[in-house]
Amino acid sequence: MVALMRAQLLISTVVVLGVLAASAPTFAHHGTAAYDTKNIVTVNGTMTDFRFINPHVQLYFDVKDEKGEVEKWQAELTAPNKLARAGWDKYTLKPGDSITASGYVGKNDPHTMWINKLIGPDGTSLHLFEE
Amino acid sequence: MRGNLNSSLLGIFAALSLSAPLYAQTVVLTTDQHNAALKAESAPAPVHDLTGVWMMRNPPGSNLGFTNYTFTKDPPELTPWAEAKYKEAKASNGGEYTLKTTNDPVLTKCDPPGVPRVYFHPYPFEFVHTPRYTLLLYEYDHTVRRIYTDGRPIPKDPDLLWMGTSVGHWDGDSTLVVDTVGFNDKTWLDRLGHPHSEQLHVTERFHRVNLDHLELGISMEDPKALVKPWTTVFYYELRPKWELGEISCSGDYLDFGNFEK
Repeated sequence: MVALMRAQLLISTVVVLGVLAASAPTFAHHGTAAYDTKNIVTVNGTMTDFRFINPHVQLYFDVKDEKGEVEKWQAELTAPNKLARAGWDKYTLKPGDSITASGYVGKNDPHTMWINKLIGPDGTSLHLFEE
Repeated sequence: MRGNLNSSLLGIFAALSLSAPLYAQTVVLTTDQHNAALKAESAPAPVHDLTGVWMMRNPPGSNLGFTNYTFTKDPPELTPWAEAKYKEAKASNGGEYTLKTTNDPVLTKCDPPGVPRVYFHPYPFEFVHTPRYTLLLYEYDHTVRRIYTDGRPIPKDPDLLWMGTSVGHWDGDSTLVVDTVGFNDKTWLDRLGHPHSEQLHVTERFHRVNLDHLELGISMEDPKALVKPWTTVFYYELRPKWELGEISCSGDYLDFGNFEK
């Protein structure tokens, strides 16, 4: 059951990426070489900080590992101008919010992520790109 | 229901896996095909008016992946001078780079992009018309171009500027033709690092096809760098609800150490 859900998440993520890639200019403002772009990782976390600033909106959240210990994660999205046009503002996420983040993790620091898909505290997938 | 969803998702996944990388295969529509594909409900273009916020959108059914980085699928024919300069460029490898691996002046120094490289910034721009000039405001790094429409000629001995000096005139009801000269040679023509000289002359034809769609025909002429004019067409859609925000390529944009741990 879990394997099926993971496969569905991966497939739907690839579909999202494929659709976005076909419809919008690829946004790679800074380098992707620092990230492992061959694998998509998904984690559940609790927000600790949310910075709605240029050049990239930054999310900070705690993830519990299998032992129950807390990992400190940092993740990023695109520019706030673009997210504002996708309906975001500086209050869209807050400390304490539960999120599920999927994306590429850093090669040198596996607790950094460039997010491709984000499920917010109400369980819905947040739009990550302007239309 | 769930089974059907899975098989259709798997089908899409398979199709995407087999599809060519964005950069390689392209489908180029003719102008007639493209215009026919536009939604019928768009209104006619207003006369002599490009007012609005515009965002690059390739025509439906086309996959012009190269428009992220360069102007045409095939590279331009460079002069020997330009070939030598091109070899010195260390571009950003389709996005797979760190600051150490590139010497792209926009990415490493926040230099102004020049024209027409400015159109590779994935951000919108807007037109503001005044009686004597039209302003082109690009969201990225507060870039402003002033296009004089007061009938003055193209300057014969211009100062050399990052974004050049521009004059414009209307060709018919809905095409603004802009000539720009007087570029310094510190910018790249595209994100791949193709160079230009101070002799660069850029012609932009902004053709508003209907209310919601703009075609930008670009022609670059540079006898020192290009064997013949390098031309392309980029496509834009109106975004009536968008407003440009602030982006300043300074400080944090250069301190990518945060993102490259």
